[in-house]
Amino acid sequence: MREFVLVLAFVGAALLGHKLISEVPSLLHTPLMSGMNALSGITVVGAITATGLALATGSKLVGFVAIVLAMINVVGGFLVTDRMLRMFKSERGRNS
Amino acid sequence: MLSSYLFLQLVCIALFIYGIRLMNSPETAVGGNLIGALGMAGATIMTMLEAEVLTVGTVWAGLLVGSALGVWLASAVKMIQMPQMVALFNGFGGAASFMVATLTALQGGLNTFALFTSGLAIVVGGVTFSGSLVAAAKLHGLMKQRPVHLKGHNTYLWVSGFVMVLAVIGMTFQIGTPGLHAALLIIFSHLFGCVFTIRVGGADMPITISLLNSFSGVAGSVAGFALPNGALLVVVGSIVGASGLILTQIMCRAMNRTLLDILLGRTTVLPGSAAQTGSQAPLEPAPEGAPEPAQPDLPSWQEALCGAEKAAIIPGYGMAVAQAQLQVKQLAELLESRGAEVRFGIHPVAGRMPGHMNVLLAEVDVPYDKLCELDEINAFLEQADLAVIVGANDVVNPAAMEAEGTPIYGMPIIRADLAKNVLVCNYDTKPGYAGVDNSLYKMDKVHLLLGDAKDSLAELIAVLKGGTAERPDGPEQDAAPEESPAALIKAAQRVVIVPGYGMAVAQAQAQVKFLVDLLQSWGKRVEIAVHPVAGRMPGHMNVLMAEVDIPYELLLEMDQINDQFKDVDVVIVVGANDVINPAANTHEGTPIYGMPVLRASEARHVIVYNLDRSPGYSGVENTLYDMDHCIFVPGDAAVTLQALLEELRAAG
Repeated sequence: MREFVLVLAFVGAALLGHKLISEVPSLLHTPLMSGMNALSGITVVGAITATGLALATGSKLVGFVAIVLAMINVVGGFLVTDRMLRMFKSERGRNS
Repeated sequence: MLSSYLFLQLVCIALFIYGIRLMNSPETAVGGNLIGALGMAGATIMTMLEAEVLTVGTVWAGLLVGSALGVWLASAVKMIQMPQMVALFNGFGGAASFMVATLTALQGGLNTFALFTSGLAIVVGGVTFSGSLVAAAKLHGLMKQRPVHLKGHNTYLWVSGFVMVLAVIGMTFQIGTPGLHAALLIIFSHLFGCVFTIRVGGADMPITISLLNSFSGVAGSVAGFALPNGALLVVVGSIVGASGLILTQIMCRAMNRTLLDILLGRTTVLPGSAAQTGSQAPLEPAPEGAPEPAQPDLPSWQEALCGAEKAAIIPGYGMAVAQAQLQVKQLAELLESRGAEVRFGIHPVAGRMPGHMNVLLAEVDVPYDKLCELDEINAFLEQADLAVIVGANDVVNPAAMEAEGTPIYGMPIIRADLAKNVLVCNYDTKPGYAGVDNSLYKMDKVHLLLGDAKDSLAELIAVLKGGTAERPDGPEQDAAPEESPAALIKAAQRVVIVPGYGMAVAQAQAQVKFLVDLLQSWGKRVEIAVHPVAGRMPGHMNVLMAEVDIPYELLLEMDQINDQFKDVDVVIVVGANDVINPAANTHEGTPIYGMPVLRASEARHVIVYNLDRSPGYSGVENTLYDMDHCIFVPGDAAVTLQALLEELRAAG
């Protein structure tokens, strides 16, 4: 049952994502990609959970590295996206 | 507890979705990104609560170290390096995912489904990580960009693929030890990723990066299947996967390739016989056509440029290589100042990643409303009288429509050939990445300006500037007197003086002081802008100004004055160079890039009293000098300023 729900969620999210992303203009494709870098850092959630589980077995180091890498994506991704998006100005914005 | 955690997960997912939704317009995208960040913060905190690791130092240390590295990377990266940055981030995402999956798989107590998905996540994550590192190394120039074909290339891929399938089966049905399977998967997924990416050439990187972007999401998503409460991971990873896949599709379509071509390394075609004959056949003018030499009714490129009313600029990767964005922008502005309508034609695969050209042009403040996609620019080109190509080749090659059997046949192109006149600012006439000769180059209406795009564009800009005076319709009477520094200063309401080390060398402080007094006696607002590093020590300029009795209220620091430069009528620069160089904001890779400068270039007029036009201490050419609203007066500042004072006094 749990597996079935997850697979369903996977497919549903893929379809929804497809719809959402299709609406992003190609103008913003690079920031979109770096934004997706940030979102793929969601693995940090998995890394935290896995580290929590692994505490008993003592493989904390792998968990630590995973958290670090995912967090670089999260923080770096959002910041870089922000930096890029702020460069995009319209003619009105530029003259005002 | 579980249900409230599930509820909060849904809230986070809603935030992510809303954030992505806002990415559909440049006006709302910044907010969308912030909402996404908010969702991520929420997801992290509540997962720590749920997993009961709030007191675990390892987790906190990981979060802090990762955040610090992220902040550092994000602030250190230059815009020109963005492709490799994105590739690197893809890799980190993949690495984190395969580590999570490995931890989960070795945990024990998993059911068949969870074991299978863990194995799969290790594979996808490992391929993403190693592939991204190779891609980033290629983009960063650490590795050669051309495709590398190993001996028995496909054998490596087949063997590592086969081993991975066996290991996943072994892990799923718990045959042998899970540790062995995990190790095999990690090793062979990395081998696979390296071998597969090493074969991809530089110009195919937009596709590869998009694909790895997708993989990094899928890896996370699949890893989530095996985790307790992995729903968030599954959903968000899946969205990222879908996003990368859409971009991959768009790139493939735009480059006229199938994904399979890329994966199998069918990326380059040698400029072989098929390509050559194919592209030339339809275009070769009949031999009899040769007797009529330069057709007299065809305008020279200078005439075509100056007379353009509708102009399209088509940038390509060559623009990025030559770092000619600023010149492109200047060209557009000059054309516009002559009343021309200017549009930029952006081919989906121009550059090294999706949207590459858009980012580069946005960086130099080209308004995004002028950046047109394929259909839009082609409609515009039908009526355009000028197309300027800057470092683009395959994407404007008409052979894509004519030369059957060549690799680019059928690929959608920007129809620069439709414009009445075409100027090509490319480095040479060699075929582009596809290896097909560009049939555009042979057309009569096409003028080739070969060499570094920056130089060619400077030539165009010079022609446009020189041409302005020739235009009879300009208001000539008042143009002449307004051009002189004295007249500009007399007409000004607000004047800002920017002193630099050159003033100290020329010992021109007294002249500056007289100038301030004179202008104040005329009721003008005069201030002195002091850059923190102007001169040879902190506060150097302030001391010199105080010495000649200029009240310190008039000395403004950079932060006080910078936002006001746009309201200033005339800026008088006295012996300052690097500290007012706009290249600090635009020229990536130069030593002064990123340095805070006085934004003197934003004033209506700038008059520079420097010894000569040579670059300052940083060795970077001052782009201000070439701007339209800048007058350069060379010579010893004490002498030139004295002359100005006398002229002003005579006029007053």
